[in-house]
Amino acid sequence: MKNSDIVLRAVDLYKSYGTVKAIDGVSLEVTRGETKVIVGPNGAGKSTLLKCLNLLIKPDKGRIWLEDVEITNSKTDICKIRQKIGFVFQEFNLFNHLIVLDNVMIGLTKVKKLSKEEAFKRAQEVLELVGVERSLWKRYPAQISGGQKQRVAIARALAMDPIIMLYDEPTSALDPQFVGEILEIIKMLSRNGLTSLIVTHEMGFAREVADEILFMYRGRILEKGPPTQILARPKYEATKRFFKEINRLYGAGG
Amino acid sequence: MTSLATLLQYIPYMLEGLIWTFTLVSGGLLLGFTIGLPLALAEVYGGEYTRTLVKCYIWFFRGVPLLVLLFLFYWGVFPSLGLKLAPLSTSIIVLGLRSGAYQSEIFRSAIQAIGEGQILAAEALGMNRLQAILYIVIPQILRIAIPAWSNEYAIILKDSAICFTLGVAEILTRARYVVITTGVALIPYLIAGVSLMILTYFGVKVLDRIYSRVKIPGLGVSLP
Repeated sequence: MKNSDIVLRAVDLYKSYGTVKAIDGVSLEVTRGETKVIVGPNGAGKSTLLKCLNLLIKPDKGRIWLEDVEITNSKTDICKIRQKIGFVFQEFNLFNHLIVLDNVMIGLTKVKKLSKEEAFKRAQEVLELVGVERSLWKRYPAQISGGQKQRVAIARALAMDPIIMLYDEPTSALDPQFVGEILEIIKMLSRNGLTSLIVTHEMGFAREVADEILFMYRGRILEKGPPTQILARPKYEATKRFFKEINRLYGAGG
Repeated sequence: MTSLATLLQYIPYMLEGLIWTFTLVSGGLLLGFTIGLPLALAEVYGGEYTRTLVKCYIWFFRGVPLLVLLFLFYWGVFPSLGLKLAPLSTSIIVLGLRSGAYQSEIFRSAIQAIGEGQILAAEALGMNRLQAILYIVIPQILRIAIPAWSNEYAIILKDSAICFTLGVAEILTRARYVVITTGVALIPYLIAGVSLMILTYFGVKVLDRIYSRVKIPGLGVSLP
């Protein structure tokens, strides 16, 4: 394939709920090593779009490729594909009945069929990488803070060795004091070359981490460009209004 | 007037009925579990057609009184299928089919209490639906459902007494026999009632104990 450095490509995605068009013709590409950030007002379809990309939500129309495999092809084994796409949820979605360590190991033992020892080794690596202290490894999700939960969730996704990470508002459900540390981890991973697509409201973070920012509005990508351009000189009135509003809510994006 | 001594003679005979009661209850609960858990999963994760079928099953067995079900199956359904089942087997099956309907409601609300997020997370890791159910859903609902399930135990234990109508030699049947033989009603029925109460109490206590040992730490699912 000629586009061998394109990790993820979506062409002309549509998704409606009744008469509401959640996604109204979206195409995007993510290149290897690149970090893209999707911003936009609530209800713009950002979350739906992200979940469409690994078919957690099935798009009504459109095609998606991961590297050179078309995942929207009904013959593709979607479970195999999803192993390669790390997904981090806004609400963490840790497995409540499993301790931290098992949360990270279960994908390795049950999906990748690694041995307990191999899985443990890998879990240890990623938990240390995202800074989950060893003293928490035997705790249950309900016994750790939101910030720690999201670290574990990131570790759980990383353990599978994904070729791309999708983050769905990874700090929106966190208490303010944990937001910074989670963003630092995501930034660190992205700087280390992990291909990432991030939905967020944190504009300061977006400016620092993004190679490109996509502004989504009413189910479409209204405009996109490098952070300097899109933040300083937005073309559309809707984009300007959004940045003004977000600055008012979250501060000037420090 | 029968003397107390004569009555006392019958006590071992009556208490033996508890073995039958216990057989009815454990058989009914076990069969109900085997039916109820898959039904709940089918109701939540199945298609529309499956869901409707499950709903019909549940409404039938929740809606028809136990006594009617017992008569219907013992004299109606089984004979017309060419089956000759003993009162005990019939009673266990009917209690089980009915408990299956109630238990499926218990497990369904447990599944709903877990929420969709964890299933999505499991699928995002590359698990298929079956794996997600097996590794994520079932281990949690079995724990969450215990308090409600212990209620089901208490109900089926008391309902088992109705099986006296088919002549199963459980405790009420025996108490009734003693009453007819001796002409004294108070003591035999009191013994039957109190021993069922004691069984309820200890069963519920044991399940409480199990629940507090296996419940997921930090998750507040409080007992009603």
